Amino acid sequence: MWVLLALPAGAAEPLAFNRDIRPVLSKTCFTCHGPDAAAVKAELRLDLRERALKGGVSGRPAIVPGDPAASEVVRHLTSKDPEQVMPPPAAHLNFTAEEAATLTQWIKEGASYEGHWAFQAPVKAALPAGTAATANPIDPFIAARLKTARLDFAPEADGRTLIRRLSLDLTGLPPSPEEIHAYLEDRSPQAYETLVDRLLASPRLGEHFASSWLDAARYADTNGYSIDGGRQQWLWRDWVIKSFNDNQPYDQFLTEQLAGDLLPNASEQQLVATGFGRNHAITHEGGTLAEENLVNYVDDRVKTTSETFLGLTLACAQCHDHKYDPFTQRDYYRFFAFFNTLGDAGHGGDGGVNAVPSIQAGSCLATPAEAASVRHELESLREALAAPIPDAQAKWESAQRADLAQRGRELVLTPLEVITATCPNGDPERIKVLPDHSVTIGGGDFAAYNVLTRLPAAGAPIRGIRIVFSPTPQANGMLGYGGAAELKGNFHLGSLTASVSSYPAGNVDLNAILPIVRLSASGTQAGFDARNVLNTDPLVGWAPPTGSTTPQHLTATFAAPLQAGASPYLTVELLFNYGQNTSPASFRIFAFSGCDDGSPHPAAVTEMLTADPASRSAEQAVGLRAYFHQVAAEKAWLRSQIANLEERLAMLTQKHPVLVMNTAASPRVTHILNRGLYSSPLEAVAPGTPGVLPPLSNDPAFDPATGSFRERPANRLDLARWLTRPDHPLTSRVAVNRLWEHFFGRGLAASSADLGSQGQWPSHPELLDWLAVDFRESGWDRKRLMRLIVTSRTYRQTSDTRAELLARDPHNEWLARGPRFRLTAEQIRDQALAVSGLLAERLGGPSVRPYQPGDLWRQVSHYGSSPATSQTFVQDHGEKLYRRSLYTYWKRTLPPPGLSVFDAPNREICSIGRLPTNTPLQALVTLNDPQFVEAARALGLGLLQSACGGDRERISAGFERVTARLPVAAELATLVAQLARERLAYQAQPGAARDLLAIGEMAQSTAFPLAEQAAWTQLAATLLNLSEVITRR
Amino acid sequence: MNPLIFSRRAFLGKAANGLGHVALASLLAKLANGGQPDESNMATFRSIAPRAKRVIYLFQSGGPSHVDLFDGKPSLAKLHGTNLPDSVRGDQRVTGMTSGQASFPVVQPIAAGRRCGPAGAWISDLLPHTQNMAGDICVIRSMHTEAINHDPAITLINTGSMQLGHASAGAWVSYGLGTENANLPAYMVLISQGTGKNPDQPIFSRLWGSGFLPSQHQGVILRAGADPVLYLDNPSGVSREQRRAQLDDLARLNQRFAEDVGDAETLARIHAYELAFRMQTSVPDLTDLSNEPAATFELYGPESRKPGTYAANCLLARRLAERGVRFIQLFHRGWDQHIAITKQLPNQCRDTDQPSAALIADLKRRGMLDETLVIWGGEFGRTVFSQGALGSPVAGRDHHGRCFSIWMAGGGVAGGQAVGETDDFCWNITRDPFHIRDLNATLLHQLGIDHQRLTYPYRGLDQKLTGVEPAKVMTQVLG
Repeated sequence: MWVLLALPAGAAEPLAFNRDIRPVLSKTCFTCHGPDAAAVKAELRLDLRERALKGGVSGRPAIVPGDPAASEVVRHLTSKDPEQVMPPPAAHLNFTAEEAATLTQWIKEGASYEGHWAFQAPVKAALPAGTAATANPIDPFIAARLKTARLDFAPEADGRTLIRRLSLDLTGLPPSPEEIHAYLEDRSPQAYETLVDRLLASPRLGEHFASSWLDAARYADTNGYSIDGGRQQWLWRDWVIKSFNDNQPYDQFLTEQLAGDLLPNASEQQLVATGFGRNHAITHEGGTLAEENLVNYVDDRVKTTSETFLGLTLACAQCHDHKYDPFTQRDYYRFFAFFNTLGDAGHGGDGGVNAVPSIQAGSCLATPAEAASVRHELESLREALAAPIPDAQAKWESAQRADLAQRGRELVLTPLEVITATCPNGDPERIKVLPDHSVTIGGGDFAAYNVLTRLPAAGAPIRGIRIVFSPTPQANGMLGYGGAAELKGNFHLGSLTASVSSYPAGNVDLNAILPIVRLSASGTQAGFDARNVLNTDPLVGWAPPTGSTTPQHLTATFAAPLQAGASPYLTVELLFNYGQNTSPASFRIFAFSGCDDGSPHPAAVTEMLTADPASRSAEQAVGLRAYFHQVAAEKAWLRSQIANLEERLAMLTQKHPVLVMNTAASPRVTHILNRGLYSSPLEAVAPGTPGVLPPLSNDPAFDPATGSFRERPANRLDLARWLTRPDHPLTSRVAVNRLWEHFFGRGLAASSADLGSQGQWPSHPELLDWLAVDFRESGWDRKRLMRLIVTSRTYRQTSDTRAELLARDPHNEWLARGPRFRLTAEQIRDQALAVSGLLAERLGGPSVRPYQPGDLWRQVSHYGSSPATSQTFVQDHGEKLYRRSLYTYWKRTLPPPGLSVFDAPNREICSIGRLPTNTPLQALVTLNDPQFVEAARALGLGLLQSACGGDRERISAGFERVTARLPVAAELATLVAQLARERLAYQAQPGAARDLLAIGEMAQSTAFPLAEQAAWTQLAATLLNLSEVITRR
Repeated sequence: MNPLIFSRRAFLGKAANGLGHVALASLLAKLANGGQPDESNMATFRSIAPRAKRVIYLFQSGGPSHVDLFDGKPSLAKLHGTNLPDSVRGDQRVTGMTSGQASFPVVQPIAAGRRCGPAGAWISDLLPHTQNMAGDICVIRSMHTEAINHDPAITLINTGSMQLGHASAGAWVSYGLGTENANLPAYMVLISQGTGKNPDQPIFSRLWGSGFLPSQHQGVILRAGADPVLYLDNPSGVSREQRRAQLDDLARLNQRFAEDVGDAETLARIHAYELAFRMQTSVPDLTDLSNEPAATFELYGPESRKPGTYAANCLLARRLAERGVRFIQLFHRGWDQHIAITKQLPNQCRDTDQPSAALIADLKRRGMLDETLVIWGGEFGRTVFSQGALGSPVAGRDHHGRCFSIWMAGGGVAGGQAVGETDDFCWNITRDPFHIRDLNATLLHQLGIDHQRLTYPYRGLDQKLTGVEPAKVMTQVLG
């Protein structure tokens, strides 16, 4: 068996150029004797038969068909002379004696060449006759290959395994126990097909298939490059989801994304589809050069389009002719020209405003039915919010009364000495420290001012700080420079951060931010409450009443008092990032001891709280209750959910921005760029496609020399039509191959992003071609192809592996067993949400920010230095914590850490296929990330609540929920013992149970003892961490 | 007992049916190993006798001013205030920030300096500790890059390419050499913010990312405070003993599954969970500075007691080195002095000078300097001419890529020298130019790696850290 393995594939048959020879020549020879005209050495090319037979400068033929001894190639390949031997030792190529023997044999057999297989139009071969014994056309191809290896199909996987595999593959989510049972009980011979049809019709399918498309299309919610501010692009994601769900034919899917705007009478959604060409990173870094940026953007469109639709590494020809494939640099820039016609700009995307061109459009996933249901839900949520909780309110009122009674007690204000006050950019002189230690600001915008102060060395403990803002003549007697109506002559404090240090730290220490527990203001402009300064969103902040001409102050009380002398320096960061010049005129910082004399509530509320409750009017009582409901922790979930649904309603009923492609009034002229440099243009070129592939158009009006039709230059729509022409050799193969990869973890051609000469020879070339032709002939019907694949015997095999088979075919190329691989990052999180019942199954809409530890963004961002959005992480609440992972806000420079660790790419560039890894950091996520701990809580609670009998039944039910099978006795015994152990542990430590159950925002249950809930949480965590659970088999 | 070996043996016992145990074991190891090159491949690129076991890269983000810090010369005092001649400036691109300036007045270093060390390398008085360390470091004044803006420049120096998607140097080293300490990641990253400028240019995960390499090679951030590695701590309410017992249960269940269906991935996963458990003690042990003597903190300066500072990160770098972490990279922000350089630069220097020098001294006294390559430097230098009016307190310097200065120490570097020279204007290199590719080739070379042979196939090319253009080992720098 080991002998068999050592022989080259198909050694018994005659050698085939594309399978056996081209890969060797490409790897070994083409760098110097291949398509790159500028790199050709000794005038010898080996990629073209005619040139190889002619030979190079020596004048002797490199290859003499049938006569290896007379062939220069063989002489050089086998030479012992370091001056003569090829490839030269300095090239460090790993060229084996076996490969030399293969080349010699091929010359002996006549040295016949073939065009690269992937550049020849696929042909639908007759199905191999054989023993597949199924009606599915895939199986005979697989069976024929298995036969040559003297193997047969593995048995079919059992029903439970199949439904889990199928559900995960088609919808990304595991089957529910009810779905499993229904399938197992369906005795009809069509049960499997019925299941397939049900899953193909699920709206979850579009979400699942969209995920990998987002990788390829480098979708993200931020602009990338260094500052990486936010953008609005989710409408395009909605479009992708719907396209999969509606089974839009692939040719239309392709055409609308590349050229929807050029279609006759393009619909709004066809414009949205062109967001594909704008998903690339965009910069607004000040010093960068617009012309250079524009070239980068177009390069990215070429790279993405060629890898995604053509399966070619066209980007390799950006600086020079391709080293391995017959693409010239000229081909590259002709392709580039299709995408160089947009009316886009070199800089853009600052301040959360989409870079041009951007349009306003509705979501294609919006339905009137959902809008009606959301309105209805909102109504009942608002009712629930208004429902009195008298006990909680009474408790709150008495706590507030106690707090207010302390107001001003022993209050001592000490003006702080300001050592430095700095701003990050712009004119540093606009911030000045005056001799009285007030800080004046000369206007300006978008800055986080850092003020370093010295704390008093002695005295009472410091409870917090007060910042007093004063008018100045420079600000026309007003408090600030705000230009807009609502904040005219006012300022807007977006956030307040303070830290102490043992040395004079010019900047606030983000690792040691002093928690602030109470905020009061001398006055407040409606809608700009003092407590907003704790939200790091620069647009959510405090403003005093607009029109004030007298000083106003804000007072912040720290969670823990600072002992005098413990730490000599205090640094305060004040962020003014609202826009409209809402900077303050002058301020002064005081430390205070004792109690703040201000109220954290609006004046009317303070008055009601401090007055005798009996004297309250009915109207006042209503007002106070409404206020309490806006601040009560008990109502937090309702408030978040109302906000979430209001946003959802806006998503369903309003228009939103999305980046799209268009054509400029006078498009840029495309030049070949020497070495790819924007600043080194050579000759101008017209749009066109690589010469080795079919012509762009067969229309007599089209002139390939100029890349133009009689009336107009070729455009992106022509490119889309070309890609989908029936004789195109690549488009259909690439699409089919990637869909195959989705189900088998590996394409029929394993290098699914590169079908060029450096790509891998397909494991089943005839099958790939058969499917490619069939796919096109079916009208590019994606769900039909999915159905064809998943109903094959090949797909339905068990993935259980015998050691012998593993040794012979470690990567399962022959498919003598079913495919098995780890779930994707998104699936792992989504599955935890699904099995725990937390998953919020809403389709589409803006991205969400579920749990993330701390503020990872602020640590490395441009916060406080630019209007760019998404520089700080502000976590969402309510159902937004439980949406599917493809909706998680994607910041390119710091992608969601729990997804990155499971191999999600950063989406800075097109990325096809993910390399699965297996690391300790993954274990830390599924064991300790609050998202997973909370899912374990919910799953555990769900099991406790279930109707089934005792522990064993509940554990079995949980096991079935996560694996789709029932545990065997040994497994059950381990889990039963674990539960007993955890139960004892938590009964002995009620505090630990309370701590564990406090993780996550899901409400706690009062129906079961805490120890019981905690023990089941631990059991559920074990279930969620089973290797089998994160594996699809 | 190593659970991987244990479970593999169990798997073999049950499933090996006549196949050689050794053959199958090595196959399983290979399958479970995923993203690491196999041994025969390793031998091809590990073809040089290593001089260093690890790298500590003190990356100074933003572009430290070579003119002010390491490349001061008498000519600058003479030329101070004169316009940079067009003949010198040549066709050099300048950024959008100064391309509109009418004049380009030369500005001498903002502080005096002195010649230090055996070779008399000029080092600014803003860096007194570095001056005293001149005998141990090699100042390289002739680095150059073609990038002139932060994003492309910092991407180029950290990943070898201005284009997005490439792997960082640390990821390459992790890929090529793996880890010396299985209980810690091979590549760890520490981030700090200087007091010179806040906030400075952003930094981002691409700079320590794995690019096209398997994601296990990306740098792992060591954060200040609780949970120094993301999700490291058990959930509150779960004790270490509980977790231990839970992992034993998991291993038992996973092993059963692996044996039952023949799954090497699951065997590797059992091992990964075990490593995660060990990381839960090895990381806190690493970050716990309570056993460091007072003298340590004196050496690194008072800020070293404060988590998250550059000084604390330098001290942690030494502790990471002691524990066998292969590639330790500090990112210190704040060096982008476009404005108010006279105010900002001294602060940046004060943050970094003593801790950087302390790290060298500390490694040296522990006998670790020889086996640790230390690099200090940023993504480019700064213009000799003034950005803004000459002499204005708000003036600064723009980006400059034609030359900039870095220093290296330890790991086979010949200390006490200054290599490379620039012209009278600190504008062009006149001797021993080194591209970033050369720096990367040298870094790999000192670790025993042939930069031409450490390759990874991606999108039709054998990708290299040093890219496709020629790169040379900086032999002048080496002892």
